[in-house]
Amino acid sequence: MARLNTDTVCAIVILAAGGVFFWATFHIPKMGYASLGAEVWPRVVLVLLFALTFAYLFQSLKRGPDEKGEGGGVMGWIGRYQNALWCYALFGGFLYTLNYLGMLIGGTLFVFLTLTALGERTLRAHAVHAAVAFISIAFMWSIFTYGLKVILPQGEIFSAW
Amino acid sequence: MMWENFTEALYAVFQLKTMLLMFLGTGAGLIAGAIPGFTIAMAVILTLPFTFAMPPLQGLATMIGVFVGGLSGGLMSGILTGIPGTPSSIATTFDGFPMARAGRPGLALGLGVWSSFFGGLISAVALVLLAPLLADLGLEFGPWDYFSLVLFALTITASLAGTNMLKGLIAGVVGLLIRTIGEDDINGIARLDFGMESLKSGFQFLPVLIGLFAFGQLLSDVKDRVQARQPLMKDTGVAVKVEHLEAIKTIFRSWINLLRSSFIGIFVGVLPAAGGSISNILAYDQAKKASRTPEKFGTGIADGIIAPESANNATAGGALMILMALGIPGDLVAAVMLGALLIHDVAPSPTFITENAVLAYGIFIAFFIAHPIMIMLQAVCLRGFLLVTRVPMYTLAAVILAYCAIGVFALENSTHDLWTVLIFGVLGYAMRVLRFPIAPMILGVVLGNMAELNLSRAYATASDMTMFVTSFALRPWSAFFLLLGVFSVGFPWYQKEYGRKKWTLVYIPAMAAALALPMFFMQGSVRTFVAAALLAWAAYALWKRHAGGWKLEAQEDHIAAMKE
Repeated sequence: MARLNTDTVCAIVILAAGGVFFWATFHIPKMGYASLGAEVWPRVVLVLLFALTFAYLFQSLKRGPDEKGEGGGVMGWIGRYQNALWCYALFGGFLYTLNYLGMLIGGTLFVFLTLTALGERTLRAHAVHAAVAFISIAFMWSIFTYGLKVILPQGEIFSAW
Repeated sequence: MMWENFTEALYAVFQLKTMLLMFLGTGAGLIAGAIPGFTIAMAVILTLPFTFAMPPLQGLATMIGVFVGGLSGGLMSGILTGIPGTPSSIATTFDGFPMARAGRPGLALGLGVWSSFFGGLISAVALVLLAPLLADLGLEFGPWDYFSLVLFALTITASLAGTNMLKGLIAGVVGLLIRTIGEDDINGIARLDFGMESLKSGFQFLPVLIGLFAFGQLLSDVKDRVQARQPLMKDTGVAVKVEHLEAIKTIFRSWINLLRSSFIGIFVGVLPAAGGSISNILAYDQAKKASRTPEKFGTGIADGIIAPESANNATAGGALMILMALGIPGDLVAAVMLGALLIHDVAPSPTFITENAVLAYGIFIAFFIAHPIMIMLQAVCLRGFLLVTRVPMYTLAAVILAYCAIGVFALENSTHDLWTVLIFGVLGYAMRVLRFPIAPMILGVVLGNMAELNLSRAYATASDMTMFVTSFALRPWSAFFLLLGVFSVGFPWYQKEYGRKKWTLVYIPAMAAALALPMFFMQGSVRTFVAAALLAWAAYALWKRHAGGWKLEAQEDHIAAMKE
């Protein structure tokens, strides 16, 4: 384990994922009329992926273990990537609630909460964030709804109202 | 017929709505280009969702506006702050920033803007004249030739891989794999869906692209909490007045530099994977070598701004030329443009210009018109563009993420696509953290279906695989592209070792000689003559290097000059 570095772990993960995909190619139905079966191209790609990943694995094993990183355990890792984690969580929440809140309310809330999570947390900043969120989303929502005639999700709240 | 198509295209582009969209696109490109960290590819990707509901020409004209605006926007931050907005403007800062600091920011901006304008116009003329000629060549291609052409385009991943070739190649192959998920285009069979209903239709191209590139990039930009809250640029000199007349006069006095740099730009644009980031430095280097006062370069000299700015805009014309004539993307932005065409059900190929003449001419005209629009906008709205760069990055990131969601939803009115953005956003960010390049993966995603489709077509016509590799006489174009592909894979090593290892002295003559062989088997006497000339040049170059004792001094001088 001491010799493992980030690249080695990556190579192993890619090989494992490639293995799963290769197994899945055996479940692709075969068509008698097809000159080139639907499973051929994915297998060609996967063989290429295996060859390259094995080379990457050997390269990483030769390199030896990583130098001491920033450390801090799980909390340190969360601290380092907290902005990205906030964005993913809020974007995920926005998608999850899209059917209830709709694009206008959900989008405005997403922008406001993301700005609040990443930006300063003063009363003035909150007011600016709210204004930015509402104006930017209402503007784009209007362009798509009235200009490009695209029906964006209304959401149950908006529909009921 | 050609004239009819041209006038029809002209009419379509000059529609009020199309013109308005081009103004909007060019303005957005100027803003995106002016923001350090925002690449032109990202700006074009973010524009894509807004173009779905539009007719193809309108959508593409908007994106061409973004492309041209982005190329020119990068010079604003480069000249005023010394931080190039895009990699295409790196060399512009060498003389643009010193000139601005010496009290002539207006002239520096004027030189940059007008050089971009003239460089773009020269390449637009080349695009109109040369693309149809290249497309005529393409009409000779058979299925195996097409497949070899796509394989050659895939070898560009090696050049896009950056410092770690293996990681880049793996990323490219994973891109190909992503495109195999879901129903295949040839037989209509669902594959690699793991029994999940949502995966049966596979991943749409655009959500994958936005997730990998835009989502991941935005999160990288706001990774540092303190930096995310700072304005992008503090001292942007909003009171600058551009000296247009003086700039035009200066450029006309340096017309040889302008022409040389524009042709360098066009040539680099035609080459696969060599975009504006290379052409601007190459043109700067050549301008310095040709100058009577090379010692003044780097101190704020006009030629040092004219060369890179005319070259990087000319590169766009070259890249569009090869995309439209042969259907292969020369660089990342061209790959995105290719994706945009596919989304609008237009597949660029050697028959593209013949079959979609109005659209093709429309693209030529839009590229031409985007340049005067860029000049107008930059003259009128410079102050506004610079104000945008004072917005903190986290504000832009939050708003753009929401806009991505709105745009992607509009693709097929499906929340599945939004989840795709999130999943590939996580993958894109993880790849950045683990230092995997994103560009090869995007190329894989764009070209994956084309490669499989062409392999299937070729295999249906003749399933003898050995013929495809060995038969120079029967499929000379196929052999030509395969050989080109082999040398394209080796090109990053050549660039890395250029001037250091002796084998680099043989590389280009060997490539010329190898490419000459299949050309002898092609139709017509012109190609035989070109092949003979290539062979003769290769022999002469090798003899000259042999006579010189295989010395590397000249290259070392060149590298030293480039480093300087």
